[in-house]
Amino acid sequence: MNEHIVKSYEDELNTLTAECARMGGLAEAQVGDSIEAVVKRDQALAEAIVGRDERLDVLEADIERKAIRLIALRQPMANDLRKTVAAMKIAMNLERCGDLAKNIAKRTLVLTEAEPLTPLTRSIERMGKLVLGRLKDVLDAYTASDLDRALAVWSRDDEVDEHYNSLFRELLTYMMADPRTITACAHMLFVAKNLERIGDHATNIAEIIHYEITGAETIGSARPKTDDLAREV
Amino acid sequence: MSQTPPRGWLRLSGPALITGGLGVLALLALAPQAPGAVWMAGFLAILVLAVAWRSARIAEVEWPAPLAPTRPRHENAPPYVSIINALPDPVLVIAAHEPDDLTGRRFVMVNEAARDLLRIQYDAGLLVTAIRDPQVLEAVDEALFGGVDSQAIYEVGGAQARVLKAFAKPLGTAPDGSRLALLVLRDETDIRRAEQTRADFLANASHELRTPLASLSGFIETLRGHARADEGAREKFLTIMSTQAERMARLIDDLLSLSRIELNEHIAPQGETDLALAVMDVVDALGPLARERGVTLTPCLPARGEALVSGDRDQIVQVVQNLVDNALKYAPRGSTVKIALAGGLTAEAAAAPIRPQSARLSLLTPDHGQDLYAALRVSDEGVGLKREHLPRLTERFYRVEGQKSGERSGTGLGLAIVKHIMNRHRGGLAVESVEGEGATFSAYFPLADQTVTRPETPRPDAVTKPS
Repeated sequence: MNEHIVKSYEDELNTLTAECARMGGLAEAQVGDSIEAVVKRDQALAEAIVGRDERLDVLEADIERKAIRLIALRQPMANDLRKTVAAMKIAMNLERCGDLAKNIAKRTLVLTEAEPLTPLTRSIERMGKLVLGRLKDVLDAYTASDLDRALAVWSRDDEVDEHYNSLFRELLTYMMADPRTITACAHMLFVAKNLERIGDHATNIAEIIHYEITGAETIGSARPKTDDLAREV
Repeated sequence: MSQTPPRGWLRLSGPALITGGLGVLALLALAPQAPGAVWMAGFLAILVLAVAWRSARIAEVEWPAPLAPTRPRHENAPPYVSIINALPDPVLVIAAHEPDDLTGRRFVMVNEAARDLLRIQYDAGLLVTAIRDPQVLEAVDEALFGGVDSQAIYEVGGAQARVLKAFAKPLGTAPDGSRLALLVLRDETDIRRAEQTRADFLANASHELRTPLASLSGFIETLRGHARADEGAREKFLTIMSTQAERMARLIDDLLSLSRIELNEHIAPQGETDLALAVMDVVDALGPLARERGVTLTPCLPARGEALVSGDRDQIVQVVQNLVDNALKYAPRGSTVKIALAGGLTAEAAAAPIRPQSARLSLLTPDHGQDLYAALRVSDEGVGLKREHLPRLTERFYRVEGQKSGERSGTGLGLAIVKHIMNRHRGGLAVESVEGEGATFSAYFPLADQTVTRPETPRPDAVTKPS
């Protein structure tokens, strides 16, 4: 690591990365808790998640403020500039993840009032674990500046998509079999969609890490895609 | 923190100042012929001595003596650092200056277990880069700034998920004024997993065993009742009953072995196994069954030692057996089941599709993407699988709709077992399928010897990484 002559500049840069990592930890916890709340139909946990979302918003604003201040006062170049911009963009993505987790929690509050959809919750749980694992991997890659790990997350987005598509079909069959479950199933569908979006944010973060480390724009169309909407209906 | 440098300076120069002060007094005594300077120099000497005395006081007050053992240590006792390093539980020492300074919280000492668990590469660094779980960070803060013991549950996600209990304890103040705390993590995955597995086992077993049991008791009732005297019916029913009993036995075997594998899933297996030999064994064992079904098994194996993988031999044989057995179930009469084995592949190459236009999905992707793998591919020429079934194949008791029951029905646990074994071995599992043409399952294990020359893997973007 090349050190800066001005020590506090170094500190400011490190603070940005550290705050991003801490925010990542919070976002991970929010997403993990929201999955647990849906699966275990835990109303108290869901309410706690809704209440905690503000901390992520505050952290994001804080990171953005610090990043802008750093750009204005220190005029970072090359590596340092990319680090600063990356912190800002990652914070934005994490804040969105938090919002999606909050939305899952809110839907949980509705879902707990309906009859449980047991086999479906298992599918949601598996998809949730997959998404959470990707978020963890990408944040590990960020704190360790590990390009290979980031690329591994980035190239594996299709797994989440396949799970989402499979869940979509499952939900359709449930709704057709018993129209009374439509309300609950519709909420479940949004829960699944939110999880899929969180997976996309993890992919975004992987792209930002790629940019931070290499300085090259991301990577075009090499990523496998299975978004064939016509196939689903 | 502004006190830090002067304090160190004073401490170092304390004895020097005393010597200096005495020296000036001695000079005064030796040079009485300069009366004008006497008072001046005397005053200076007293001042210097006073400063020296004060610095000695500071050293006394703020520098606690090193922890003196009440009894002398045994001459063979190793240094404490090496003991902490050897502890099986991850241990970290965390230092921090102020509560609102995030970069201030650093780990200043980590033992081997902590390095391993948290993938720490340096001796010291920012705490958040190693642990970002908010609950653990809060517990550490309480120990650092609240001065109290604190606990938290730390869940590490990923393929081999772990649950740890984090204990944070205050350690007082360091010489430079920063606060210290000890963080010890204790692995409680086993306990949690045992609870979970028992719950799952009961739920699955009670549900899945009920079907054959119901059929058994139905036939017993019939045999006791109106079929009592019917010789032909009795023979027929007994055959069905014995098939059902066998099915129950198979189910129980599979459930038990799945539970066993799940319990040990986070513990990496020991030993080395030649995958080629395992395949040969399975081909020999399943040969009679294949002949009976009119299916040819064609293994395509590399030279001995090329597919030497690290892992538990029995479990690896079980993977091969389950995959080949599955392929046999769906292979039509007169077709072939190909079993191909290759070593020295990267994870991408091992999971790469071999048929164009196929639906493909990775059912399990290993965590360490940079290892080299030996890949086993089992292809059949059966009906193939529809794309929407692929993500759910490794679910327990998941059956593809429209799948024929009867002689072909398995327990619905075969692929679940394969997935859990592969996960324990840090390997991967992928499936690809073309409807009407057949399916291919690829299972890849990390090679025991990772030093084999690595084939060049092109990055998707071909951007070179700055070193």
